Amino acid sequence: MITLIYRGIIGLVLVFTVWNLFTEEKVTNQANAALVVIPMILRLLMIK
Amino acid sequence: MSHELIIFLAMVVTFAAGCFALKLPVSISMVLSAVIGALVGGQGIPLRHLVEGTFSYVDTVLVITCAMIFMKVVQESGALDALASLIIEKFHKVPALLLCLIMLVIMFPGMITGSSTAAVLSAGSIMAPVLMLMGIPALETASIIAMGGLLGMIAPPVNIPAMIIGGGIDIPYVGFELPLTLLTFPLAIFTVLLFGYKYVKKLDYEAIKLKLNNEPREKYGFRIFIPILLALVLMVLNKAVPSFPSLGMPLIFLIGAAVGLFTGNKIKVVTVCKDAVQSVLPVLGILMGVGMFIQVMTLTGVRGFIVTSCLSLPNGLLYVAMAVAIPLFGAVSSYGAASVLGVPFLLAFMSSNQIITASAISLIAALGDMMPPTALAGIFAAQVVGMKKYTPVLKKCLIPALVLIVWAILFIIFANQLAPFIVLK
Repeated sequence: MITLIYRGIIGLVLVFTVWNLFTEEKVTNQANAALVVIPMILRLLMIK
Repeated sequence: MSHELIIFLAMVVTFAAGCFALKLPVSISMVLSAVIGALVGGQGIPLRHLVEGTFSYVDTVLVITCAMIFMKVVQESGALDALASLIIEKFHKVPALLLCLIMLVIMFPGMITGSSTAAVLSAGSIMAPVLMLMGIPALETASIIAMGGLLGMIAPPVNIPAMIIGGGIDIPYVGFELPLTLLTFPLAIFTVLLFGYKYVKKLDYEAIKLKLNNEPREKYGFRIFIPILLALVLMVLNKAVPSFPSLGMPLIFLIGAAVGLFTGNKIKVVTVCKDAVQSVLPVLGILMGVGMFIQVMTLTGVRGFIVTSCLSLPNGLLYVAMAVAIPLFGAVSSYGAASVLGVPFLLAFMSSNQIITASAISLIAALGDMMPPTALAGIFAAQVVGMKKYTPVLKKCLIPALVLIVWAILFIIFANQLAPFIVLK
């Protein structure tokens, strides 16, 4: 149960991070957001 | 010159060039320096290791993000305004105590998130106008907020550098509460009185009262504080009642945030969440970069080189090296300093009580948040009070920083004598 809840939390953080990635104007800030997105996706999919 | 030293220098030079010459964000500079370090170390571009490195701080990322969502909800609901007005109303006749309580409010978000940035950006930005209303100049206000942020980051219940250091030698994060309290609160009181007391000796409450936002408190009464109280209760519940399952900090913060939606001003939850994530993204990126940086240091043998160099130092020099090297490495990140240098220094003081020593080293590591170019606490504190340059804040904080280092070293020296009284497991 708690694993599912935490996957949900990761999904939530991921959604807002990706949203920010697309609304950021500077490319460097987009790259910064992309850095955060990578482990989130892998953790959400339980690959890592 | 050893091969590891050459790799380390290549990484440091790349990082500095990225930050200062190319004006890249700290996170991107770290990724670049990690890639260069791997190339110089003959590892090519180790994609698997770079991704692996980002996972070092995934839990921390969740804690910081959820804490920031909680703080934004608490802020938007009016609870922080209510807390500020309550404290000032009750304690304006005792300015010294009032300052100490304001410092506590500034530290609070750092205490629950383990991030100085969270403290500076949330409670710091709310308390800055209050402090300036009380007659404290902008520079002193920024210094109070910056030091409050980094002391809040070290104060219990959540101290991420101590968790990182403890994790390095498999110490569970248990029994740290009292040592961390004794390490941080006296310093917080000293700092706030040093910078603020002379300006608030004769406080004009009537003038301040007009500028305080009393509305949330009058409108919602006690219920405005329910999210904060609920989060505090959930944090200690598992310790008081071990049969109650541990929810974890991210979930506790989200529960508190969800309750906060109904206890005060109306909140646009999607906007608040997006803003919260946006405000912490630079810190999250830095954590990812630090993870990659340290992973490559480990991969290329640089980390081992640093550990053996620290362990081979004579005892007297250990304290000096620790006092200088850890805050300086904080230019990369205080978390990075805790990870790369905190663990070897803890090993070097193996004969001292490990919980007190790890706590004290984490306190020194926190100073990294004042160190340029990252200087998260200092730069944000300067921004909060409207100062363009951060350097005066750094200079102003030199005395409390030195006191902090001496205080931490005293704890390490007397760790074994203090342990029976302050380490409660």
